[in-house]
Amino acid sequence: MARISGAQATVSVRRSSSPTARRPRPWLHIPAVAYLVLLTQVPFLYAIWLSLHSWNLLEPYLGKPFVGLHNFAFELFSDPTFWPALGHTAELVVGALAAALIAGTLLALLLDRPIPGRGILRLVALIPFLVTPSVNALIWKNLILSPSFGVVDWFLGTVLHLPPVAWLANLPLFSVVMMTAWQWTPFFMLVVLAGLQTVSDEIVEAGKVDGARPTQMFFRVVLPQLGKYYEVAILLGTIFIFQTFGKIFIATSGGPGIATTTLPYYTYQVAFQDWEVGQAAALGIFGVALAIVVARLMVQLFASQGEGETADALP
Amino acid sequence: MRSRRRWGMRAMATGGTYFAILLFVFPVLWMVVTGFKTERQAYTMPPLLWFRPTLAEFRLALASGFGTYLSHSVEASLVSTAIAVVLGVPAAYAMVFRMRAKQSNNLLFFVLSTRFMPFAAIIVPLYVIFTKLHLLDTIPALILVYTAMNLPLIIWMGRSYFMDVPAETLEAARLDGANLWQEMFRIAAPLSRSGLTASALLAIIFAWNDFFFAVNLTYTHSPTLPIMVSSFMSNENVFLAKVSGLGTLIVVVPVALGLYAQRHLVRGLSAGALK
Repeated sequence: MARISGAQATVSVRRSSSPTARRPRPWLHIPAVAYLVLLTQVPFLYAIWLSLHSWNLLEPYLGKPFVGLHNFAFELFSDPTFWPALGHTAELVVGALAAALIAGTLLALLLDRPIPGRGILRLVALIPFLVTPSVNALIWKNLILSPSFGVVDWFLGTVLHLPPVAWLANLPLFSVVMMTAWQWTPFFMLVVLAGLQTVSDEIVEAGKVDGARPTQMFFRVVLPQLGKYYEVAILLGTIFIFQTFGKIFIATSGGPGIATTTLPYYTYQVAFQDWEVGQAAALGIFGVALAIVVARLMVQLFASQGEGETADALP
Repeated sequence: MRSRRRWGMRAMATGGTYFAILLFVFPVLWMVVTGFKTERQAYTMPPLLWFRPTLAEFRLALASGFGTYLSHSVEASLVSTAIAVVLGVPAAYAMVFRMRAKQSNNLLFFVLSTRFMPFAAIIVPLYVIFTKLHLLDTIPALILVYTAMNLPLIIWMGRSYFMDVPAETLEAARLDGANLWQEMFRIAAPLSRSGLTASALLAIIFAWNDFFFAVNLTYTHSPTLPIMVSSFMSNENVFLAKVSGLGTLIVVVPVALGLYAQRHLVRGLSAGALK
């Protein structure tokens, strides 16, 4: 035993004295990779197989015949819910992302200045992000947006003397966008705060000396230095907001009608309300394809912007 | 004169900031306040701000099977996080200290892609597979899924923190004859302790807050706390105070853990891209 470890020590001494210094014995990651393959890649391959078959769990006597690409063709050309669901998904992602981005930036700018109790305020502002999504929906549906007992309609009616709004009935998608944006605002706030720490003081000072107004300072001096932070935040925000499910489930159940049915929610409905397993698998694969396309587009967009900046910087 | 005006401006800006933050978190505060009301007070319009707080509705929420849901949530989130740490930390270690840059980057890309794949794409196959394995509606099903959900988080956060460990420190240990496990557990891991702890806390939060897998895989027999909300609300009559009390109890854990780990949130959520 002692001899073996002695031998290992000699080997490592020899290796580490070489310039690369890293002993290539990379097997430590194999359990993790195997686990991820088993739990994500294998089910995904199975989803592809399922998507090529017609299988309704409520009608097992029909079997699961091979139908080729019929499930995909049905969604694209015959299903009246598919395209609206895709549209709602886009509206939710873009709307919530834009609102959270603006609100998060404003909060970050407010909390970047030296004010008493700043540390506590930053913590407090983080809370909406940590609130369990189903509780988030509970709060907004019953306590904030309810036409009879909600605080917003009480404020509108009693204080501003405006007619009450049945938010979840008449503006359902807007309401879901608001809930989602509320949850993701602290994320953008944190990212922008982290970015503001890296903004070069010298450039800011130079801007002040040149007499830039606060808005000019932000848009011309600070914002261009936060590019990378916004890129990462937008990319990850898109990926996470796309997956919004619990809030829709609890606040609207995809309704009224299909007004708040997004692609993930529709996949759930087809799978666990209609029990059309093959079709739900096809919807899931559309979701993956969409996620890949959007992520690629964004990475490319950001990359080309980065190149543009460097090109501009050249004389 | 000028300094007095400036002082006034500053006080106003501070007050404005406090007001903005208060307004922003008002929905949560309002839930907490409503939880301390009686049902009648909760439905009173205009909204009551001053009232004698009562714990009655909290007790009601606790008496409606809260303990069972709680035990499911605790088991699923703690066990899945523990497994994710056991599998993920060595993987992160290998990526930083044992691999060539190219292999490490490829692995990172794979790990990212498994986490960013829409969950809806694999829910149907998982449902069928778990049914066949007799795991449907059991906590082990959730543990399996949450481990897969949190493993990438542990790996990319671990990777990012290990990259901060100076290579010379490990070199020195190696020269002193430390083996692989000593290097990892006695040197690299302790140096990254606060970061690794934060990663585990974030993993617990993600598992605790999950609704999608819980509602689709374990709704009937092993529901977790987020599902308890939906079963409370599917009744015709919503009891505002009771449901607010319940909501307050549920968010205590993720809010406490998240605030504790807040310095690491950006790094964790941006897959280590931002610090």
